Amino acid sequence: MTATMTAVLNDGLPAEVRALLDSTDGAAFEQALDSMVRQREQHLFRALGVLARDLHGAVCRLGSDLANEGVPESMTDARNYLAEVLDMSSKAAHRSLDFVDRMRPEAEALSANAVAVLDFNSSETDPAAVLARQAQVFANACAEGLNDMVLVQSWQDLAGQRVKKVVSFIESVESSLLELVRLTGALAGREAPVEVAKVASQDEVDRLLSEFGF
Amino acid sequence: MKILVVDDFSTMRRIVRNLLVELGFSNPLIQEADDGNAALTMLKANAFDMVVTDWNMPNMTGIELLQAIRAEPKLKGLPVLMVTAENNREQIIAAAQAGVNGYIVKPFTAITLKEKLDKIFERLAASGASA
Repeated sequence: MTATMTAVLNDGLPAEVRALLDSTDGAAFEQALDSMVRQREQHLFRALGVLARDLHGAVCRLGSDLANEGVPESMTDARNYLAEVLDMSSKAAHRSLDFVDRMRPEAEALSANAVAVLDFNSSETDPAAVLARQAQVFANACAEGLNDMVLVQSWQDLAGQRVKKVVSFIESVESSLLELVRLTGALAGREAPVEVAKVASQDEVDRLLSEFGF
Repeated sequence: MKILVVDDFSTMRRIVRNLLVELGFSNPLIQEADDGNAALTMLKANAFDMVVTDWNMPNMTGIELLQAIRAEPKLKGLPVLMVTAENNREQIIAAAQAGVNGYIVKPFTAITLKEKLDKIFERLAASGASA
């Protein structure tokens, strides 16, 4: 490479880099390069830490915001709130199923009684027989409706599965971010804390973030 | 017929039980497990005639349960019906490759459940007759 070409290339570079390239001292070159790389890592590390802290804070705040809006029991974070949603919808579904369990035998009994009346009196005009026939139609419609009601409750399970997926997504984002903070912290020259396989509890999350000063 | 219903949601276990009873299966012979691990322990301890399982469950999923059943000499012939919200192609293929006997996508109707069960029993009867 000619001197002119080097000069042209060097023109677009920051002063520190130009000084580095011109340096003839190998050790000084290495040292300066190391310090530039470390500086970059520190920026990345800080950005990740802030991101992790923000996410963690948002997850916690969402829970307390909801609690302030009049949700009866105090909840510590969004995950608990979602678990509460699951629990409430499950209770509602079970109550509907309880109702079906209670009403099904009633419908069956009404239908059987109507048949017994009609066996005894199948007149087309007698009010008792007419009522028995109507009761039978009603009992059969009820039995069908109750079956539909059972099936409709399966939406609780489908909605619940989606809620569970959201909970595990929040957890995985949070622990990936924390793992990045841990690794980047180690790269940036701080001592890496013991690996946390799954950062689940609020305390663990708080401890890990504060170890890095966030 | 002894049936094991496996699902982590108690609502769904109750619904499947309800439907099976409606289709004429005996209520006291239906048992429940809330994940694959619990199911496998029950299957090893007691003889069952059929398993109706969900896919998404903690600890051991439905597909892992199916694979474990097929890998166990004592259980490998047990009919397994999968009742799941998972309806993507890859998962249905994976279940078929693992040897599932029937696959129902939630939400489903009693008629669908009956059709799949009838098909399972027809095939079993045919393979039993040819054996």
